[in-house]
Amino acid sequence: MKTRICDLLGIEYPIIQGGMAWVATYELATAVSEAGGLGIIGAGGAPASWIREQIKQAKKATDKPFGVNLMLMNPEADQIAQIIAEEKVKVVTTGAGNPGKYVQMWKEAGVKVIPVVASVALAKLMERGGVDAVIAEGMESGGHIGKATTMTLVPQVADAVEIPVIAAGGIGDGRGFAAAMMLGAEAVQMGTRFVTAKECTVHENYKQKIIKAKDIDSEVTGTANGHPIRVLRNQMTKAYLKMEKEGASLEELEKMTLGSLRKAVVEGDVTSGSVMAGQISGLIKKEETCKEIILDVMQGARQAIKNSYEEWK
Amino acid sequence: MLEKMKEMIADQLGVDAATIKPETNFKDDLGADSLDLFELIMSMEEEFGVEIPTEDLEKMATVNDVMEYLKNKGVEA
Repeated sequence: MKTRICDLLGIEYPIIQGGMAWVATYELATAVSEAGGLGIIGAGGAPASWIREQIKQAKKATDKPFGVNLMLMNPEADQIAQIIAEEKVKVVTTGAGNPGKYVQMWKEAGVKVIPVVASVALAKLMERGGVDAVIAEGMESGGHIGKATTMTLVPQVADAVEIPVIAAGGIGDGRGFAAAMMLGAEAVQMGTRFVTAKECTVHENYKQKIIKAKDIDSEVTGTANGHPIRVLRNQMTKAYLKMEKEGASLEELEKMTLGSLRKAVVEGDVTSGSVMAGQISGLIKKEETCKEIILDVMQGARQAIKNSYEEWK
Repeated sequence: MLEKMKEMIADQLGVDAATIKPETNFKDDLGADSLDLFELIMSMEEEFGVEIPTEDLEKMATVNDVMEYLKNKGVEA
């Protein structure tokens, strides 16, 4: 199964791993790339020097293409954008904003540019700005989210642009992959499913929290201040949502989530830390290697499409 | 231009056109988020026949900022 995304990025399977802050280190990214998908190192709020080191390590670990996700609210975003161009990283994905001012520099360095978009208008503006593809990410995903769902956003973006669309948000198995293709996507981006990958370096507690999660365990913090973030519910979300209701300031709240993601990922404190994960967490049942995950998704998609086709004949 | 813009903003953001003034701030006064602004910019491009690069959006916080920008682009007031 090949799509324009496979050719564009030089990958075997049209599966991209989300560039999750703290979670998506070079270990996970290169394991995904080695397995035939596109691995992505997540810059999150990390310093520029850390990103450069991660890129160097990734180059040592794999000859296959990998990417970097630049979270545009990172205070060192300008420097990181520069490093991505200097290191000639194959692909850059961007989140939490408008990457317009960097597109020219990246294109000149031969970097494929794929912004995450949460609306049709942004997708169109990005296409006009010369990007190579867009990731249409619905609010089912973990971490920073928009308002539209994957089901509604993907077909509308696919209708609005000529460049390939990558669906993200709520996709965790082959059925989700197949559905995304039906909506007009040419690849999927998965985050949560890869958090529980064996090669992923997050604390074991974080993986277990996702594996144990049920369909109703997803919560959104930060809606009131315009920075909605999807997490799994725990004592932290309870306290946070209470603070939010009482009208705590943006700075107070932002500070609470930024520090608490590290707490959950690195220290394994999933009670008072912030366990960012998508709504699909309930579907994920075990730890597997990246290779197993990718093959399971591809085979599952094939089966889903085949079964459906039989019914429609 | 102000009247046309008022009409477009009111339509896009679901606010009363009479409350929109040149100094009105999209985010602070009208509660627009970044997606609303992208949407608004696209419809203004269509209306006034100009192209607004996305990196220029950061300069536009108020209605007046947009009008000044459009004037500089040669849009008739």
